[in-house]
Amino acid sequence: MTVDSLREYLGALESCGDLHRIDEPVSWNLEASAVTLLLNEADGDVPLFEDVDTARLVGDPYRGSQRRPWDRIALGLGLPRDLSYEEYYESVIDRLKDPIEPRIVSHDDAPCKRRIQTGEDVDLLDYPWPYIHAGDGGRYSNLHTLIAPDPDSEWVDWSYHRSMIHDSETSSVLLLAGEQTPNLYYYKYERRDEPMPVAIAVGVEPAVQYTSVMWIPTGRNEAEYAGGLKREPVDLVPCETNELMVPASAELVIEGEILPNERRDEGPFGDYFGYMHGPRRSMPLFRVTGITSREDPIIPFCVEGTGVGETENATSSMEVGCVGPDATLGLRTAGFDVQCIAPWKSTPRTVYVISTETTDPSYLHDMANFIFTTWGMLHVDFFVFVDADVDPLDQRAVIEALALHADPDADFHQFGVETMPKVPLNIYQTPTEKGDIQTGTSKAKTAKAYIDATSAGDADPDDRFRDDSADIDRRYRARRILERAGVETGDLPFAETEADR
Amino acid sequence: MTALRDHLDWLRETDTTVDVTEPVHWDGTVEAVAAEATRHGCPVVRFTETSGIARLVSGVYGGPDQFFSDDRDPWDRIAGALGHPPDGSYVDLIDRLARWEPASIDERPDAEPDATRCDGADLYDLGLPTTREGVPLVSLGVIAAEVDGETTWAPIAGRGRRSTELRLSVPRPFAEWCPPRTDVSVLLGVSAPVLIAALQAWTQGQPTPDAPALAAGLSDLQLATIDGRTVPAEAEVRVDGRLSGIDPKDADRTATWEIGQETTTVAVETTGIATREQPTIPFAPFDEPLADDVHLACLVEAAKLFRRVNNYWGVSPVRWIQIPVEGRLGLCIVSSEILYAGFEWQLANTLFSFSDLFDKVLVVDEQADPTDLARALDDMWVKAHPANDWVFSESHASSAAAPEYRDEDAGSRLYINATWDPRWDEEYIAPRVTMETAFSESVLASLADRWDELGLDEAVRPDRLDGDD
Repeated sequence: MTVDSLREYLGALESCGDLHRIDEPVSWNLEASAVTLLLNEADGDVPLFEDVDTARLVGDPYRGSQRRPWDRIALGLGLPRDLSYEEYYESVIDRLKDPIEPRIVSHDDAPCKRRIQTGEDVDLLDYPWPYIHAGDGGRYSNLHTLIAPDPDSEWVDWSYHRSMIHDSETSSVLLLAGEQTPNLYYYKYERRDEPMPVAIAVGVEPAVQYTSVMWIPTGRNEAEYAGGLKREPVDLVPCETNELMVPASAELVIEGEILPNERRDEGPFGDYFGYMHGPRRSMPLFRVTGITSREDPIIPFCVEGTGVGETENATSSMEVGCVGPDATLGLRTAGFDVQCIAPWKSTPRTVYVISTETTDPSYLHDMANFIFTTWGMLHVDFFVFVDADVDPLDQRAVIEALALHADPDADFHQFGVETMPKVPLNIYQTPTEKGDIQTGTSKAKTAKAYIDATSAGDADPDDRFRDDSADIDRRYRARRILERAGVETGDLPFAETEADR
Repeated sequence: MTALRDHLDWLRETDTTVDVTEPVHWDGTVEAVAAEATRHGCPVVRFTETSGIARLVSGVYGGPDQFFSDDRDPWDRIAGALGHPPDGSYVDLIDRLARWEPASIDERPDAEPDATRCDGADLYDLGLPTTREGVPLVSLGVIAAEVDGETTWAPIAGRGRRSTELRLSVPRPFAEWCPPRTDVSVLLGVSAPVLIAALQAWTQGQPTPDAPALAAGLSDLQLATIDGRTVPAEAEVRVDGRLSGIDPKDADRTATWEIGQETTTVAVETTGIATREQPTIPFAPFDEPLADDVHLACLVEAAKLFRRVNNYWGVSPVRWIQIPVEGRLGLCIVSSEILYAGFEWQLANTLFSFSDLFDKVLVVDEQADPTDLARALDDMWVKAHPANDWVFSESHASSAAAPEYRDEDAGSRLYINATWDPRWDEEYIAPRVTMETAFSESVLASLADRWDELGLDEAVRPDRLDGDD
């Protein structure tokens, strides 16, 4: 089954009993996010707020459970929800390796064109953008696809930089130099003193949303990857006020341009680290030129800062379900022998775990060097390498590897101290260190580190997890005995990690 | 009363046991099933169809890891076995273990041992769990010996060699305390206070034979006397015998408590076996993550450190210490007020001085929740500056015992400072995103008022919540 829109996805959630419709009026002013945070913490249903002024809101629609963060991502791709993480990863990787060209549709066939506002009719404040945390600098759209073109080629980048609403026609966009779209803005458009045409597609179909959080290589057609993920073409339709193509299934599309050398306040914001970070800083100004939408649009949002510790949110689940398989494919394509790369489940974006058969120190160094200079440059501070038979999503096993196999003398590697670029969002930096400079990077350089927590080099090489076939057979028989005794193995961690060994 | 039987009743009442009712006595199957259950956070497993006199049970002092379950903590079963209140906190638990207050046993009435002699029974008749080769295994027990009128209990781990001989690893100081050919009792199926007291007495750096008094300080233990030796009356199985040989070399490790210990293997020639009616023997599968012996060792070490650091500077800044079972003794987490700039360095290195098990310490703020390991580790990744707050010592520190990358060589230690710098202005301190910080009281009050209207009872999916929420 393919899922062609956010609405279809929510319907699928409802069929699974995972959607909670709230018909009572709910305020965008902290109330919707408070309910969402509550349900995130409780691993509850996904809340769909049916009556929020002029539109609807849905809180953290892709949030999974911490044991299986990929389940709802899988649902959005029409994949079974009971896949092991290995099956899920390989399914997504297979789809990413087989892109499908998008299809251009007419206005009449584009649901996002049911309502069209341009010129003086445009009013961002017609929509109930949520005020998410007390202390935020403003109201945000933070679960969308930002579409921006390279001025020198046909390439169009999809990303999901958050945007803080300022008034009826402007917002500020968090653009941190080093990422693809910010680089286009800072180092091409702004240097040429040209506005960057932009569309922010809100409430896109799942495959588009997932592609937006992946690091698709420069020059590639992101819509093709979304089609690959979906196994059907993604429908695109032209914008009203610029030449960009946008996903026709979007709930709402904000068209406009990010102006050169114009800045507005952005933040503070309760960020993915789990902390409110500040200070308020200047970010590029987005000026709206048009808004198109479905009737009664649904605006998704993420209560950032809740996807840490034992709680998931849309961002943290998409890290596992989207970025993990994408990064695994990326490393394999680059020639590295990785079993799996996965984010640390309770700390999105800052630390990743990589399981690999090849544990030669220089090999690990080269891999870390490759990652830190490419997609892992800005947000990722740490990589942890573990043996191929350690499940990177099993935090207990990874902590054990860190504790018992990572030698402080030999296995902690920093790429210099105060050497590397870093987003200015880190809470370990003082406001002074974060700076407030035009290019949106941190004033202070920082360090990147990788940790070799493989058993290679141990004084007494560890073979605890290297079961031979007889061991595996014994363990299989043991599990069957437990099942016959009434143990619900499907509810326990070995169900998805070892069932198919 | 905290006898094993009472503990098992409590576990059954709290729905944390399953019964394996099919025969499982061949080829180390019991051990394999227990290992699988332990590794994956299963309930306590009772094996009711075994080959011998005793029933076997695994996981009575174990538990799931902290990432797996948000409604159960790894130490819950031990806390229950100590009679700790169900709503008692982790801090209360380690504080209780840290008190280390021996209670005199001289005035305690001498009870009759619950175990009675099984004439003609030998070690094989007991039906202990076995290796794949059929060798009986011994774990989660103590050895009792009496010297000059004083009885001690020490931890053991080992195996049966013949039908009448046990070869047991014991702490070397115990073996040195015991003269050759001392009469001893090996006690299996004992309560948690007995196991904990034996560990505290012989594995905490300052050996003392005072284990029975330490156990008495932890619980209202019933004591009995066997040939002059004081033993816990409630032991499920007692194997009496005599030390028949000592091999001073360290044996292959078979229990977590042996890590960092000098051990000796002693042979015990058995002279008789006593059991309770329908005895139950708890055991821990060898070298498994989350096995009972890992839990016991981690908790006892954490309590020792809690006691020592909070009695060292005249003030008690440390809120809690954890040796997380997930790290298998290789990592220590300490939550503390940072009294002054640099205190985190002092604290971490004090812990390194007091324990030779680990070489990694994570320092978190005093507000950190000891029941939220995921959040503590989150702070390690996001709050500690990767260049400034991951602090490595020079490379001549003694090697830690738990990690597997060094034998005897010296090396570096690492502590990670995930606390706010006390030199920072308050305005630099980023507040956490929580219900309480992200929303005003009026928003929360409104949410409570509208709870039914918004249908939140149904949406929070109570089946996924623990009772406290």
